[in-house]
Amino acid sequence: MTMSRKPRIKTGPILLGLPAGLFLLAFFLVPLGYVTVLSFSDPSWGIANYRELFNSRLFLMTLGNTFWMAAVVTGLSLLLAYPLAYVAATSKGTLGKTILMIVALSFWTSYLVRTYAWMVILGVQGPIPALVALFGHSPPPRLLFTSFAATLGMTHGLIPFMTMALFAVMKRIDPKLMDAAGSLGARPWRVFWHIYLPLSAPGIINGITLVFITCLGFYVMPVLLGSPREQTIAGLIGDRMEQILDFGGAAAMSLVLLAASLGLFSVYSRYFGMDRLWGGRI
Amino acid sequence: MTLVRLGAIAITIFLAAPLLVVVPMSFSTAPSLQFPPPGLWVGFYAKFFADPNWTGPLVNSIIIGIATAVLTMAVAVPASFALVRHRFPGRSAFNLLLMTPLIVPHIVMALGYYVYFGELRLLQSYLGVVLAHTCFSIPVAMLIITAALKGFDLSLERAAMSLGARPLTVFRLVTMPILAPAFVIAGLFAFVHSFDETVVSLFISGRDVATLPRQMFNSFRMEADPVISVASSLLFAAALAGVLVPAAVRSVRRTLDRRNSPLAS
Repeated sequence: MTMSRKPRIKTGPILLGLPAGLFLLAFFLVPLGYVTVLSFSDPSWGIANYRELFNSRLFLMTLGNTFWMAAVVTGLSLLLAYPLAYVAATSKGTLGKTILMIVALSFWTSYLVRTYAWMVILGVQGPIPALVALFGHSPPPRLLFTSFAATLGMTHGLIPFMTMALFAVMKRIDPKLMDAAGSLGARPWRVFWHIYLPLSAPGIINGITLVFITCLGFYVMPVLLGSPREQTIAGLIGDRMEQILDFGGAAAMSLVLLAASLGLFSVYSRYFGMDRLWGGRI
Repeated sequence: MTLVRLGAIAITIFLAAPLLVVVPMSFSTAPSLQFPPPGLWVGFYAKFFADPNWTGPLVNSIIIGIATAVLTMAVAVPASFALVRHRFPGRSAFNLLLMTPLIVPHIVMALGYYVYFGELRLLQSYLGVVLAHTCFSIPVAMLIITAALKGFDLSLERAAMSLGARPLTVFRLVTMPILAPAFVIAGLFAFVHSFDETVVSLFISGRDVATLPRQMFNSFRMEADPVISVASSLLFAAALAGVLVPAAVRSVRRTLDRRNSPLAS
């Protein structure tokens, strides 16, 4: 070794990180920059696109609808995923394993396949309208292509996501704590309310943050299952691009959607640190 | 307690039941979305595999998925080493950059790629779709690789080095074999992420390199092609195999271990 000792600039991590950094700069940040510039420049420079958006009833209603739908889906999937994750984390028998297996299966099944399943089930010739008709409701109500269908499909689609976020935290909760509280005379619901629920709170916060952000930008299910009259922002952006070729307007909407997603994410990171969001693995 | 278990069972059924309609539909004789199917046959499978409008996108998706997985691993593995093993200025900003593709909605990126790749003449090309998909796959792969790297015992590498192995030999003979399972899983996640990606493909892949999700999405919109049920069933079967095969392997291995362990007799 004849290397002279200079004050070292660490070249190792720079060389290791450079390919990923340059790649994301060129193919992630630059296209995002294009969207930003487009929103201020197409068709002419200025904030006309934004002014138009916030004067448009359609856009404001869609914005409200998107947030409302995201809130409903997040609430429902938390409500349904919590007992699922709880049983999976606390029971050692077959039930816990079966739950995890079904959750994984649902998680790995493409959103398009799940969309197809709901199209069959809610469709005019499907089992649910037939069931409704059986109870004397005729003609059967139109279920497909409504906000109800989109909400149902998204909730079903995001329960696995929510369950995994909850399970990651719940499986680390020491069951002895609950036993201790029980042996000191606390009733089961008090044990749950004062011990289990607070300990699982980080999982709840991770789950609702991830699911809510995913819902805000969700395109496939709202477009395919939802009502064309009550769109979400993502659907509206798609329409602008495909049908009217209004890229400036689409870009302005994209920036509003982006600001909402990144805003929520930064609030989360501010209080909890971004690395925990995906299970604190980095 | 039992009430909670009953609830969990009901929710599990709610989760699983819709998926169970997919496969029977692909064997249906009816050209519409009639459930239960009026009769069974395999005609739609024959149609799927004879129609280039379906087999073409299937092949495209596989090509794009493999290329995405390779490219993702090529940049994500070194970046994971940088993040886990080194402390350097700008590390948290770098970490943030690597993770944001998970937060930015795909429809926003679809617009960005549409304009940007339009200028670079990468629209309707394999390369364009692969570059876009790699951006989304990098954070997914990073989460898996960094988790494995954190659990890696550095003293193994030190032992090899103290015995005189050069850094590359250490990587090849010690680091790589230990991390190989994590690399395989990360590559697999990158592939699946690309294979399932719908929104960006929809806007930038065009007719020439149409992916399977794009073809499925458009066919849903037209509400015409019953062959969609076959595509859905194939994807569902792949997911089922992905979940059941590892579980089966694990249980077989456990049985064998038990039988071979000296305590069992």
